[in-house]
Amino acid sequence: MATRIVVPQLGNEITEAEVTEFHVAVGDTVVEGDAVATITTTKMAVEIETPENGEIASVDVEEGSIVKIGTTLCTLS
Amino acid sequence: MPKELVVDPTSTRRRTEIEFKPIPVHAYDRSLAEERKLRGDAALTEILRHMMVVREFESMIASFKATGSYRGIEYAYRGPAHLSIGQEAAAVGQAVSLEPGDQIFGSHRSHGEFIAKGMSAFAKMPKEDVADLMANHRQGRLAETVDAHLDSVGTSNAEAFLLFGLLAEIFMTQLGFNGGMGGSMHAFYAPVGAYPNNAIVGASAGLATGAALRRKLSRDGGICVANIGDGSTGCGPVMEAMNFASMAQFRQLWQAPFDGGLPVLFFFTNNFYAMGGQTSGETMGWDRLSRIGAGVNQEQMHAETVDGTDPLAVADAVARKRQLLAQRKGPALLDVECYRISGHSTTDANAYRDRDEIRLWKQHDAIELMAGKLINAGLLRDDQVEDMKADTVRTIEAVTSAAVNPNIAPPVDVGSNPTLIGKFMFNDTSQPVPSGISTFTHPKGEVAAMRALARKARNGRDEEGNLHSPLRAVTLRDGLAEAIVHHLEHDPLLIAYGEECREWGGAFGVHRGLSEVLPHNRLFNSPISEAAIVATAIGHALAGGRSLVELMYCDFIGRAGDEIFNQLAKWHSMSAGELTVPVVLRASVGSKYGAQHSQDWTGLITHIPGLKAIYPATPFDAKGLMASALSSNDPVVAFESQRLYDQVELFADRVPEEYYRIPIGEPDVKRTGEHITILTFGPSLYKAVAAADELARDGISVEIIDARSLVPFNYDPVLTSIKKTGHLLIVTEASERGSFAMTVAATASRYGFADLKSPPRVLGSPNWIVPGAEMESTYFPQAHDIIDVVAGEILPDGRNRRRGVRNWDDLALARAGL
Ligand SMILES: Cc1ncc(C[n+]2csc(CCOP(=O)(O)OP(=O)(O)O)c2C)c(N)n1
Ligand SMILES: [Mg+2]
Repeated sequence: MATRIVVPQLGNEITEAEVTEFHVAVGDTVVEGDAVATITTTKMAVEIETPENGEIASVDVEEGSIVKIGTTLCTLS
Repeated sequence: MPKELVVDPTSTRRRTEIEFKPIPVHAYDRSLAEERKLRGDAALTEILRHMMVVREFESMIASFKATGSYRGIEYAYRGPAHLSIGQEAAAVGQAVSLEPGDQIFGSHRSHGEFIAKGMSAFAKMPKEDVADLMANHRQGRLAETVDAHLDSVGTSNAEAFLLFGLLAEIFMTQLGFNGGMGGSMHAFYAPVGAYPNNAIVGASAGLATGAALRRKLSRDGGICVANIGDGSTGCGPVMEAMNFASMAQFRQLWQAPFDGGLPVLFFFTNNFYAMGGQTSGETMGWDRLSRIGAGVNQEQMHAETVDGTDPLAVADAVARKRQLLAQRKGPALLDVECYRISGHSTTDANAYRDRDEIRLWKQHDAIELMAGKLINAGLLRDDQVEDMKADTVRTIEAVTSAAVNPNIAPPVDVGSNPTLIGKFMFNDTSQPVPSGISTFTHPKGEVAAMRALARKARNGRDEEGNLHSPLRAVTLRDGLAEAIVHHLEHDPLLIAYGEECREWGGAFGVHRGLSEVLPHNRLFNSPISEAAIVATAIGHALAGGRSLVELMYCDFIGRAGDEIFNQLAKWHSMSAGELTVPVVLRASVGSKYGAQHSQDWTGLITHIPGLKAIYPATPFDAKGLMASALSSNDPVVAFESQRLYDQVELFADRVPEEYYRIPIGEPDVKRTGEHITILTFGPSLYKAVAAADELARDGISVEIIDARSLVPFNYDPVLTSIKKTGHLLIVTEASERGSFAMTVAATASRYGFADLKSPPRVLGSPNWIVPGAEMESTYFPQAHDIIDVVAGEILPDGRNRRRGVRNWDDLALARAGL
């Protein structure tokens, strides 16, 4: 089953964030706690970590794009 | 910057015990013969004489308070007289071991420390320097008076200058060191290191700590001393200051040459009493005051209890602590036990202590003991001691005769110059635009947050008029940040700190990225100590630095109440403008977190004379006003609405990349209109704009003025606007009662009365708690509330279309305390 890694809720006022950098590409293996992407809100930069081990099955948004809270960044298989 | 200190469970969970070292109590045991060898006989004799001068000076004040005269001189002294008769050895012992450049910060009972420090400093300074200091003090007026009336009084002109300048200040006359604006409990004379006395118990702890921060950064080798009493150990701000001074980061994270402990000595003159409460045995649990040191840091603050009735024991202890501070092992704590023979003040009935106790201490009088010691050792004869006393009395008598004579020491003439005191409230000057070489450790281009900001659009809408995302356009947060970055980069005297200010970037990210280019000594995380944050910022500024500090939420102002209201606001005026306090205190105005995290407390700040205050609502204004605040030589409180941090620019064409300033105190017309003027504070601007858009459809044309600043405040744009519209509505998120909006309404009524067609109206928040996010729209004035007031009450069009909940009866609410 694929696991989706999404943009988390980052505070009351925050509705969107910029995907500043992807640290992984399709096919990479990741270990729980690895940073898969850095996203930036107006207030801070946050590293998004994978919640479990796996392989990156898809990268769903482009670097530099602005995405809403809850958007899928990538999926694990 | 990456995380520097790792919290490792293997080491934190290891079984161990915390050990304490024994704390020395009365360890001093040097013989007089050794002291003679160490200091020389002349120095020992001088110590005795300095104690006599302090004693006679205070006896003179005691005599005025008790009988209205001293040695035949009549004078009605009305002010405070917290005397330290019996405690002279503590003051003089301390002063002999300090260098002229060391700075002491006093208490309500600090005449003795002031005199002792001044005499010691003058004696240690080169004669020419002393002459220059006197000649340059306030255009030489005090020196001329001393030359004319006190020539050849005492052992030197410098002493007459010091004693006369202090007494003239205690009597609140023009020639006093504070120009008559300070008095006994606030006297200072910085050139000898006598920084202000303080009428607030324990306040000097934080000020001295902040000044020590400046000493550390300037690396001038000097130390700072907080002169406070045993009773002050019960004050939160004293504990905060000691903890702040002991922060581990000074040793663990600050890099050479700024590493190591703060050079501050907490000198507790422990006379066993507050006013009447007994510290040891009644109001405190420490038993011996020095025990406190053991709880503060690993070095136990090098705490010691010393005999404050022996000036040599005190001098020895201060010299040893001074050495530790010079080796960057501070802070240090001394518990200096002595006894106040005089009352707390002259109205003290001594109900809290036995006559026998006073008698015991009179038999153990510090001056008699020291004189006896010197006589026994053959240093002085009885008659020489008597002569010394007689000379001292003659000096004090001469100084007193001059100080009570209005022809020599003229009173402050408020009668013929009624706004004289007002002139001392603000300095009103600014530093030039900082333009020195960059102090950053890396180019700004290497910081992701700064690179991202450089790419952003400078206005809030694209060519088609669509709103930019705050991720793509300069926001109010960015405006503040650009001004702050400029000042921090180019002004090496400016430091910034507050809770979570470094890696976190401040709770709301205004400092984001700065930790990558500024070392800890320019930007650091403070403890959660609002009182210490503000007090140290003031001390740092009084000692020549500039401070930018942050209170995460303005709701925390209460935690720093004294520091903001009595210290930050008052040192410029209480020193008649001699001291400047360039501090910017940022305070965010919250929302969504309920009653203790969402209150607009601008009214508390505007009520206190001596504070400037800004509340920008747009990125353009935020950048320009923050630049002015950081340049100002006056304290400025900067309010920032959390709801506006992500606000992009909707009014100015663009937010310039370049540095610019907007003068503090100038409201700005954001939209012109014909029928009604709406003056807004902070985020209310955007509610007013939304209301105005809707009202325009009904043919009501609104002029919108954004106050931008609160103190100072130029009424002209408001009065000019009223001339045209005839109606004024003021919208604020502060609770209405006692708000600054109410002040503006009253003043506008008075000066705009002839032009007004309806009474000015304030639409603020009700006089109850800020509710949770779910109910906020019923609390903070919304666009529909503004429309209800404008179209329903001020310019009624007969249509009932009320949408807000505010149809309450204000008079009935007022009767109920609401
Ligand atoms: C914050 C504050 N609380 C109370 C007072 C009133 N007050 C003035 S002096 C004093 C006693 C202070 O005791 P201590 O610190 O031991 O100094 P001492 O008077 O013994 O020199 C008090 C309670 C004050 N000035 N400031
Ligand atoms: Mg006391």
